[in-house]
Amino acid sequence: MISTPNSVSSNIPSLPIVELRDVVKIYKSDAGEFTALRGINAQIFPCEFLGVIGKSGAGKSTFLNMITGVDTLTQGDVLVRTEGKEVSIHQLSENDLASWRGRNLGVVFQSFQLLPMLTLLQNVILPIDLCGKYSPRASRARAMELLDLVEIADHANKLPAYISGGQQQRVAIARALANDPPILVADEPTGSLDSVTADHIFDVFEHLVERGKTIIMVTHDTGLQPRFSRHLLIADGEIVIPPDSTGAVSAPAAQAR
Amino acid sequence: MRPRWLKVFSDLTDNWLRTALVVFSIAVGVISIGVISGAYVIISNDMSASYAANHPMNVELRLSTQFDKNLVDTIRNMRGVAQSEGRNIFAIRARVAGTTQWTSLDLVGIENFKKVQINLLKPISGQSSADKKQLLLEKKAFTTLNAPVGSTLEFELSDGTIKTLPVVGIVQDQTTGAGDFLAPPFAYISTDTLTYLGQKDGFNRLYATLSAGNNDEEQLRQMAANIKDKVEKSNLIVSRSRISKTNEHPMASTVQAILGILLALGILILFLSSSLIANTLNALLNQHLRYIGVMKLIGGRQNQIIAMYITLILAFGVIALLISVPVGGQGAYALAAFIADKLNFGLLGFRIVPLAFIIQIVIGMAVPLLAGLVPVLNGSRITVLRAISGETARESGSGPAADLRRETAWERFSTGLAHELSHRGFHIPRPLLISLRNTFRRRGRLMLTLFTLTMGGAIFIAVFNVRVTLFDYIDAIGRYFQADVTVTFDRPYRLEKVNLSGMKYPGVTQVEGWAFADAAVLFPDKTVADNLVIMAPPVDSKLVEPILTAGRWLQAGDEKAITVSESILDAFPALQPGQILRLKINGKEDDWKVVGIFKFVGQQGTIAYGTYGYISRYTNLVDQSISYRVVSSGGHDAASQQKLAEGLDKYFRDQGFHVTEARSGKSTLATASESLDILVTFLLVMAMLTASVGSMGLAGTMGMNVLERTREIGIMRSIGAVDLEIMRTVIVEGVVIGLISWFLGMLLSFPFTYLLSTIVNLAVFNSPVDVHFTWVGYLIWLAVVLVLSALASVLPARNAASLTIREVLAYE
Repeated sequence: MISTPNSVSSNIPSLPIVELRDVVKIYKSDAGEFTALRGINAQIFPCEFLGVIGKSGAGKSTFLNMITGVDTLTQGDVLVRTEGKEVSIHQLSENDLASWRGRNLGVVFQSFQLLPMLTLLQNVILPIDLCGKYSPRASRARAMELLDLVEIADHANKLPAYISGGQQQRVAIARALANDPPILVADEPTGSLDSVTADHIFDVFEHLVERGKTIIMVTHDTGLQPRFSRHLLIADGEIVIPPDSTGAVSAPAAQAR
Repeated sequence: MRPRWLKVFSDLTDNWLRTALVVFSIAVGVISIGVISGAYVIISNDMSASYAANHPMNVELRLSTQFDKNLVDTIRNMRGVAQSEGRNIFAIRARVAGTTQWTSLDLVGIENFKKVQINLLKPISGQSSADKKQLLLEKKAFTTLNAPVGSTLEFELSDGTIKTLPVVGIVQDQTTGAGDFLAPPFAYISTDTLTYLGQKDGFNRLYATLSAGNNDEEQLRQMAANIKDKVEKSNLIVSRSRISKTNEHPMASTVQAILGILLALGILILFLSSSLIANTLNALLNQHLRYIGVMKLIGGRQNQIIAMYITLILAFGVIALLISVPVGGQGAYALAAFIADKLNFGLLGFRIVPLAFIIQIVIGMAVPLLAGLVPVLNGSRITVLRAISGETARESGSGPAADLRRETAWERFSTGLAHELSHRGFHIPRPLLISLRNTFRRRGRLMLTLFTLTMGGAIFIAVFNVRVTLFDYIDAIGRYFQADVTVTFDRPYRLEKVNLSGMKYPGVTQVEGWAFADAAVLFPDKTVADNLVIMAPPVDSKLVEPILTAGRWLQAGDEKAITVSESILDAFPALQPGQILRLKINGKEDDWKVVGIFKFVGQQGTIAYGTYGYISRYTNLVDQSISYRVVSSGGHDAASQQKLAEGLDKYFRDQGFHVTEARSGKSTLATASESLDILVTFLLVMAMLTASVGSMGLAGTMGMNVLERTREIGIMRSIGAVDLEIMRTVIVEGVVIGLISWFLGMLLSFPFTYLLSTIVNLAVFNSPVDVHFTWVGYLIWLAVVLVLSALASVLPARNAASLTIREVLAYE
């Protein structure tokens, strides 16, 4: 079953679940330096469905990578508050980070990233197996429950190659939820899907937010903006939308105001 | 099963070709080590154990005069002697009744087969003892004559009379003639049959075993001297004496040296196969980096990833062991049986050698683990970002989110060179440029492939060179047997008489009588150090072209002077030309001067040359000889020589001469070089194994390279490259790798040839010989690498080309 936080509120709680402080990311190459993120400050609160919108090369995927910890930052800090603890994720070792991520952060990609040699059910059990959060018997039941949640349980014993892209993305979502993480991060999850299938994926996300998950989703499609509970617009490594009514975001534009 | 272990299982079963490549890479090394180490242990144990089980003599005396049972009893009663027996051994010609081909046999007369306690005979079929006018054949004689039990053999006596004996049994004699490749086949009769075959009663050979110290060379030599003294006090002439340890086959050290060489090659093959394993596992890990990234992203820790891939490697090892342990065990016994058959000793039966079994298990698990450890550790360390973003194949360009990598020196050089060349009007075709750049894209893999192929090629070429070195050496040994036919009579004839008669035979251009003497070389304490067969051609003879290693050849006027073969150095390591050896010939002791040392094939006893003039005087056979070398103007090939030998044999008999044997020069050489054939066969097998490991390395690398470039091939096709163009790009890449490795292998083959030749020749001849090179190995290896590299590239490229562009671009 999907757990629900005890105190879910439609209003902004006192502490953000994810907080980016002056995050700078600079890539170096023979051609010189390239600044992908320029001093990003952002706060994301529990049970938000946050959209990060920007054009290709704007820095939105880098923004997401800073939150998942799969890329290192050049400057600043990223704090995540889960399990009653505050963790500065970039202080963790690669190994500790993997373990922490497995329990606290589910990640969904545009290209699904399912392991092709495992069935859908086994793909969903894999994170549980790696993190050891549930017993082997319980993990199977949980995986089936998750597949049922994303309406793909009928295909549980198929290999990824034998289902459609939309179905694979549902499995990827189920896998991201396997260890019941409070945060779900999705990088263009509907990017390779047709509009009807993409719509279904959004339905799943909205359902998850209703059940207490925090979802941060990156997209280049400005048309999706209405479906988020809040959104950030990124361009040239900076957040260009002023903070909304919640005041959750502080960005150069807002600071300048 | 937990998903991560399911994944491991699926990695094992998903790609059968890859699994087969890794398993075969492991298995080939394990099998070669298992076969050689198993055979080494089996032979080390069985060769001497089966030899000892047949109660070999410790002391053998060959007498020029007959002796009777009393002497045998006297020797048996000597202190320190456990047993003594007499034999009557003589050479005779035999053929299967109804056939024309004569074969020389040594007939062994045994007084009572049931009471034989020394040099036991092992029954193989039929009777195990021969009564009066019956014959037992030794296994080798049975093979040579093809005379089964029940057949009849005809014997030609020296007066031309033909006598017949039925074959009543086949036996194996592992002791008589052990270690002497030149020994003729043996057959056994009761001493009751001697007179029937025109022989005198009594014995001419004395065997004795010692009651203690029968494995102590010093004691054996001392006892041999005592027994010899005792015999000589009875006014008998000992022409030759030999000692032999009970628990050591005379050929044991040579065989073990050869197996040692094979073991060294086996280890080299293992080394090559481990680099092949490393390459394949590297490629596997590279293909799996994305999966590793995903697993780390969803919570997998590095040690979990390492455990999964180590388990996969161990599974490869277990499968390889399931194949290689039984094959290695059977192969070890087959190799041991082959050697045992060639050297005529028995094995104690098939068994798994525990040591070889353990070595195989350890190697089968440890080698892939060691070879795969670095790729696994590197793979498990990959960051999630690199894995997910497709940055894993570093050469395929930087990912959008990764730190942009720097241009390598090679890339700068290759692009700069191409630019410079095109600037000067030299346009390298783009597909060729892509091929060349692709070749160097995965430098780690390229290095491992080149290492495997280069080493494999170098060994392959070196083995051919060593083979030709050995054959050239055999040819050189042939210069000691330059006469077309050697005719041996059972009594001395005057040179002039044989010469006159022989020269009348059609085609004969030269007849040369040689003198002979058997000599014992004595240590200062009078014990026998070695036995010499002194051959004495006329001093101006052109029928011997020696390979001198020190000193000079014989000259006119040399008296009490000999040249001696290198094997004398076993007993006198510091012997130099000019020094003196104490020889005992026909009971007479004298100091002889060594004027030269020459090379020869190792055999029982040592060969020496003296001058006819002096030796014939010394043996009281002036102007006479029992052995004549005949040269003809006809062909000198084996068939012509054999025909001449048969013709001369009949001719001299018709002329009233008592011929013992007419033997062609080539057949004598063939017998002398038989041991080398075994070695050359083994070396070729090892060369094939190294070639197959090297070839697999190339095939695997090309397969992996093309597989990883499936997407790239799709892109090329989408922008207009036709299949032929793609195939050509890939094939050129394979051929370039093949050619580089061939060139490096060619260079490396020179030191390898010298090293291998030295080791082999030291083991076989006790001294290094001149190294010879042959283009055969170089050309065969060039053809192998070219064909293989092209084939190994074409197959995966064809697969890639057969996919649609959509399929290829979607390829993960």
